[in-house]
Amino acid sequence: MQIRKKIFILAETVLAVMVIILALIMIGDNRGESLGRVSVIVRNPDDNRWSAFKHGLKMAAQDYNIDLMVVSTGDMQKAEDERRIMEHEIKKGADALIVEPLPRVGTNEMLEELSGKTPIMLIGQGMSESGKTEKFPVTEPKQYKMGEVLANEILKDNNRDMTGKTIGVVSETTDSESAAQRIEGLRTFLEASGGKVKWSVSGDFGEVDDDFLGEQPQVDIIAAMDDNSMTMVGKSMSENDFPKAQVYGIGNSSEAIYYLDSDVAECLVVPDEFNLGYQSLTEVAECLKHSSHQLKSQEISYQTIRAGELFSKKNQQILFTVSQ
Amino acid sequence: MRDRIYRYLKNIAPGEIQSMIMIVFSVISVSIVLCVGIVMYLRFSTVSREDTIENTQKLVEQTGESLEDYLVNMRQVSDTAYYNIIKGNDFSGKQAELQKEMNLLYQANKENLRSIAIYDSKGRLMAAEPVVSEKEGTDVTEQEWFWQAVEEVENIHFSTPHVQNLFDDGSFRYYWVISSSRVVELVNGSDSDRGVLLVDMDYSSVSRMMNQMNKADNGQYYYLCDNSGEIIYHPRQAQINNGLGSENSYFVSTLKDGVYDEEFEGEDRKIIVNTISYTGWKLVGVIPPESFSYKMIDIQQFIAMFLLLIAMMLILVNRVVSARISSPILKLNQSVMEYETGENPEIYIGGSLEIRHLGESIQNSYQRNAALMQKVVVEQNERRKSELDALQSQINPHFLYNALDSITWMIEGERNDDAAFTVTQLAKLFRISLSKGHTVISVKDEIQHAKSYMNIQKIRYKDAFTVVFDIEPEVFNYCAVKLTLQPLLENAINYGIIRGEDEDGEIRVMGRMEEGNVVLAVQDNGIGIPEEEVEFLLTDSNRVRKQGSGVGLVNVNNRIQILFGKQYGLKIESEPDEGTTVSICIPAVLYNEKNRGILEKGYQFSKEEIEDRK
Repeated sequence: MQIRKKIFILAETVLAVMVIILALIMIGDNRGESLGRVSVIVRNPDDNRWSAFKHGLKMAAQDYNIDLMVVSTGDMQKAEDERRIMEHEIKKGADALIVEPLPRVGTNEMLEELSGKTPIMLIGQGMSESGKTEKFPVTEPKQYKMGEVLANEILKDNNRDMTGKTIGVVSETTDSESAAQRIEGLRTFLEASGGKVKWSVSGDFGEVDDDFLGEQPQVDIIAAMDDNSMTMVGKSMSENDFPKAQVYGIGNSSEAIYYLDSDVAECLVVPDEFNLGYQSLTEVAECLKHSSHQLKSQEISYQTIRAGELFSKKNQQILFTVSQ
Repeated sequence: MRDRIYRYLKNIAPGEIQSMIMIVFSVISVSIVLCVGIVMYLRFSTVSREDTIENTQKLVEQTGESLEDYLVNMRQVSDTAYYNIIKGNDFSGKQAELQKEMNLLYQANKENLRSIAIYDSKGRLMAAEPVVSEKEGTDVTEQEWFWQAVEEVENIHFSTPHVQNLFDDGSFRYYWVISSSRVVELVNGSDSDRGVLLVDMDYSSVSRMMNQMNKADNGQYYYLCDNSGEIIYHPRQAQINNGLGSENSYFVSTLKDGVYDEEFEGEDRKIIVNTISYTGWKLVGVIPPESFSYKMIDIQQFIAMFLLLIAMMLILVNRVVSARISSPILKLNQSVMEYETGENPEIYIGGSLEIRHLGESIQNSYQRNAALMQKVVVEQNERRKSELDALQSQINPHFLYNALDSITWMIEGERNDDAAFTVTQLAKLFRISLSKGHTVISVKDEIQHAKSYMNIQKIRYKDAFTVVFDIEPEVFNYCAVKLTLQPLLENAINYGIIRGEDEDGEIRVMGRMEEGNVVLAVQDNGIGIPEEEVEFLLTDSNRVRKQGSGVGLVNVNNRIQILFGKQYGLKIESEPDEGTTVSICIPAVLYNEKNRGILEKGYQFSKEEIEDRK
């Protein structure tokens, strides 16, 4: 074959290959295509306390172009239910999961098994079993520190002297690592100042009598260690004739804020749930973008709001995310 | 560098015409296509940018008008509440009627309203719709909307979005509202007092409008800020509040309506600013650079595809065109090459008029060259023949003089028989010398010629020497060059016999076959030739012409080589006082008319041909 002909065939072949490659690029144009599908599994996702969290998720999903699915889980109680839902989501094609681990036996084993298949970001820590959950990436505020801050606010209102003051602690659970750390932070700080925790109750207050506080001995201070506890304490305090006690709590729902606004509570420590959603999904997005990226634990901030400062410009921003 | 490039270009060997045409066409066409592509891209790019800006501007203007309509509507609500309800009613006696009218107004606009409320100058609630309980401990005089209205009584004031902190409807919800407030005159019986009318607009109405604008997923976004740069709406408001983002709203609030280039956080972007009437709010459209590039990627891909396809097509067309143009030239070139190698005597004549003319010219030129060459060959042969003839003719006068001198001498001495013999021998000699003008004769005739010559010489020299012919009969039938032995014999007589007077001279003529060649030799027992002279005998004819006919060995050697080739000729062996042997070596070409004719035409047989012809 003449060299002229060879060059002609070579040039046409090279151009044809370039046309094919370009056509494939044009066909497979993935601009605007989702980075992946992320399922969010939390208990009672329609609850008000998740408003800011879901808003944060939504904003991060927009920023990183992620298909977000907040799974309707209802009030799941068993680790098996959570496992079933997670497996179902993975089967449906979820590329990653954001999970609120249940403080139940077996949750850690389940997470260990499933995290091998799909990246899982936890929001809060599950059952405290020799610190097993520490090996999973978690997005949460510093739980111990929040308990400490809450204690500090109590101390501030009592001239930093808790001698003779009785305290009641209300918590949704004491089984989870997160709750345990919060309570420990609170107790350590208060007891060091002479305070005495008279009682400590925990449970799913949705199923118990609204006047559950009435069944407890009178205390000077009630510390509600999570949003659910805070709303239930607020409700109980405002609806029932419980002897006056100073209420301090940790919460982020509009109900919890309402009880602060209506002077039922003195102070509220509000975890930045918007950032909980935003940062957890941002970290997951990084993992989806770069397969070599390992999920890392994220720390979120919190805000202390006193009753009279609720409508300050800064605090209104919290209300903005909460009321979305 | 320029010199190097120039030298490189100068050294590029000329290629084939088709390749050159194709390369030149391809370079020109690809350059044109590239230029067209670049111009297209720049034009598309500019148009696309202009379109994007124009569309954004239109959208900003339309939404600005919608927002203005909305705000006008809210002002109308405020006006209606003031002029139709508050001014016409006495708070002391017509509370129920006033409440009813406010309710009607609220119901008519409740889609966009959160509440309508009237406060007196001390911040006490006079009336509100919808009717819900007022929050305890709320001092409205400290709220921005209240003191703004009181400070500037002539205007309706619009606040930035904020949480409504007035009522408790028991829903645990906090509403985002934009407050419009104005000072109103309240009639209470005979007293009149100043109060503040508050119309809280639902923020969700504004955010809905803005969300609608921000639906496009192309990087563009729109936000709303007040005239001091406070953000009223931003699609990433929560991120900005949480420090996860920022906006250049404080700078933008200072700009008038128009399109601006803005550098923000290291990004060059376009912004379109539209001011909302009355409130001074700024509706801002932001076009980040990636928004332009998002659209340009499609154009880039389209242009790249277009260029590639055009390049493919052009290369194909260029090949066809160049082949079409160069084909007759290549055929002409091929035919010339074949002509030169002797494969094809015909020159291609075809193609366009010019190439056809070129072909005809080349063919005519070749034909003229061939005729010229033929003529040269003929002339060369004739020249050689005449040269041979001239060489041969050198023999005759000298010898003839001597022979005739001898005959005269014999007749004068009445030796008639000897004279007759001599004349006979002379006749034979001349018969063979003439040989009908042929140059090539048989060995037999050449030997006969030598015998006749020696007989004449013996008479002349009075038998001073003896001649012995030792010829193998085998050699008689081969070709020999006429008159080659005679000069050798003459030399043998002159140098070998006459000058060696003390001894009996003997000349031996030998003929034999040696290695397929015919060797004829003349041997004498004369004085011999000094060694230093032998080497010049065949090269320098002037050097040895001391005696003899003047026809030297050089001539004989030349004649043999002219006819048979350089590998044949004379060989001289001599020992001083012993004698000399001069051998003629010629190829054994069988003597017949055909071979003689061929040899005389100048053709030299190869070894193989000689063998074939035996």
